[in-house]
Amino acid sequence: MSESTQLHLLKPGQKATITRINGESALRRRFVEMGIVKGETILIERNAPMGDPVEYFIKGYHLALRKEEAAQIEVTLQRGANG
Amino acid sequence: MNLVQSLFRLDYGGKIEREIARLISMFDEMKFDVGRYPQRWLAIKLLEADADILERVRNIPNGEKIIASAQQGAEKLKSMLGDDVDLLTADRRYGYINGVVRQSFHRPKLDRITLTDRIDDIVTHKWLGLPVFFAVMYIVFRLVIDVSSPFLDWTDAVINGPLAHWFSLLLDLAAAPAWIHSLVVEAVIGGVGGVLVFVPGLLILYFFLALLEDSGYMSRAAFVMDRFMRVVGLHGKSFIPMILGFGCAVPAVYATRTIASRRDRILTALLVPLMSCSARLPVYVVFGLAFFGARAGTVIWAMYALGIVVAMVAGMVFTRTILKPDVSSAFVLELPPYRQPALKSVLIHMWENTREFVRKAGTTILFASLVMWLLLNLPWGVENQRDSYFGKVSGVIAPVFTPLGFGGWETGGALVTGFMAKEIVVSTMSQIYLGDEEAQASEPKTIGEDLIGIGQGFMDATVRSGRILLSIIPGVNLMVEDAQGEDTALSLALQKQFTPLSAMAFLVFVLLYVPCVATLGAIKHEFGMSWAVTSAVYQTAVAWVAAFVVYQGGRLLGLG
Repeated sequence: MSESTQLHLLKPGQKATITRINGESALRRRFVEMGIVKGETILIERNAPMGDPVEYFIKGYHLALRKEEAAQIEVTLQRGANG
Repeated sequence: MNLVQSLFRLDYGGKIEREIARLISMFDEMKFDVGRYPQRWLAIKLLEADADILERVRNIPNGEKIIASAQQGAEKLKSMLGDDVDLLTADRRYGYINGVVRQSFHRPKLDRITLTDRIDDIVTHKWLGLPVFFAVMYIVFRLVIDVSSPFLDWTDAVINGPLAHWFSLLLDLAAAPAWIHSLVVEAVIGGVGGVLVFVPGLLILYFFLALLEDSGYMSRAAFVMDRFMRVVGLHGKSFIPMILGFGCAVPAVYATRTIASRRDRILTALLVPLMSCSARLPVYVVFGLAFFGARAGTVIWAMYALGIVVAMVAGMVFTRTILKPDVSSAFVLELPPYRQPALKSVLIHMWENTREFVRKAGTTILFASLVMWLLLNLPWGVENQRDSYFGKVSGVIAPVFTPLGFGGWETGGALVTGFMAKEIVVSTMSQIYLGDEEAQASEPKTIGEDLIGIGQGFMDATVRSGRILLSIIPGVNLMVEDAQGEDTALSLALQKQFTPLSAMAFLVFVLLYVPCVATLGAIKHEFGMSWAVTSAVYQTAVAWVAAFVVYQGGRLLGLG
């Protein structure tokens, strides 16, 4: 396990495990509804043309989040995975 | 309790289960009537502090006590388990789901590149994403605005030609008095026409919006444009209504329905009317040619640019005052796989939305049309507009415009009629300055001839619209072709009333002032009366200030 970081700091192609979700309760509930929960693996797919928002792959579907919101999600980078 | 519930119960773990049991026994003790909700489910929702359920429970006897107790329980759990109950329960649920999936489903290798991935590689590409988006918008805009316009003209012609003609024949048969004749033909048929004229455009708009939405492209458009729109406090999806606003604000306001957050929808609808719609173009053209000659094009271009700049400033102001972003504006957007839209769902979408416009916004337009008719025709037997209530109202309003450089009652009157539809500003002016336009030479026709005319008109419209459709592909002739249709008599009359500076101030005012009644009807229909009033008031205020700055500023600079 590597050290903890925030989701918006990762680059396309990287893969991470969600460790903690911060932010207001309504936003966290929104995350949970979309399947963003502790222990889940999330793959960073691509940035939008202007760098923000970012497309992720989680639970078998594609999800876009703004960096501002992704910053509320703490993750640890998965190394060596086939990302 | 039904079978499924009795067989399956997710275990949330000892501590949470204890709180659930405590709440359930409290329901029993207080004989708390939970209605159709199962007790266990309600207890869980109360511990999760689900806003919707809290609201409902609050209104049931003893509800407040139960909520207070559930809150205490939730606090206790949070201090013990280190997280909010709603996150803890979600963890449990997803944990259970993962377990079931692992036991029963073997996930195929995910490295396979799908068609969706390949389309997205282009559509959301770093360099190609924006050009692709603008190309799609350009095509949709041209299709909605241009392809619908022959049908729009046809609807207009049918209503004001044969339909009005038939009604007057009927009224003549019934020997109806002249005022009923005028009321029916001018106010009712005119008003209904004002509503129905939007129908072809709306049908086409909803068709393409449904295609964009159902195919999955809409989410990509929002993804690509979000960064840009956020500067103004908007959502990625706000871009489409804004573009449509250049055609007509009414379908644009309805196009906000694709945006999920109410706050984002309202802000978009408040800014949409600042995109200079096609109805304002005739005003720019007439004034541009009368006062700015060769530079008319630049002036017209400046009006479009000014509308965009004002919208950006207004967006930033609203975002910091009455429409602060809330959590519902958070950008959490699924990018679904591309799908072929189902024709049936597209057609239902078109039909339902258009029908709703006719029913709801239609009443507002019809009502305004009746009021305008009364103002123009009271007191009874007025000969010219100046002596009617309309003229008096215009005279009262006019001094407000004096500091802007155009204080005549005629200008005031033109602006008042512009509230019905902005292009009417020009026709009112020519009516007042040049007298009534020559009565349309309408030889009496038989109903059969009328019907043939309607049919032919529809065929013509289809052909014209087809031609336009073809011309879109090479992407030629975007700009107005009919700008040369200048009315020299009106130009001369206008030159007596306006200086170039006051004409400029007038154009700025026409660009920004109160949205037309159809747009306000749409805003009222979508967001309620208070937002329609907000829209009318803020735009008029902004228009006044902007025209004041232009006129007085110009005078200080010695331009007037």
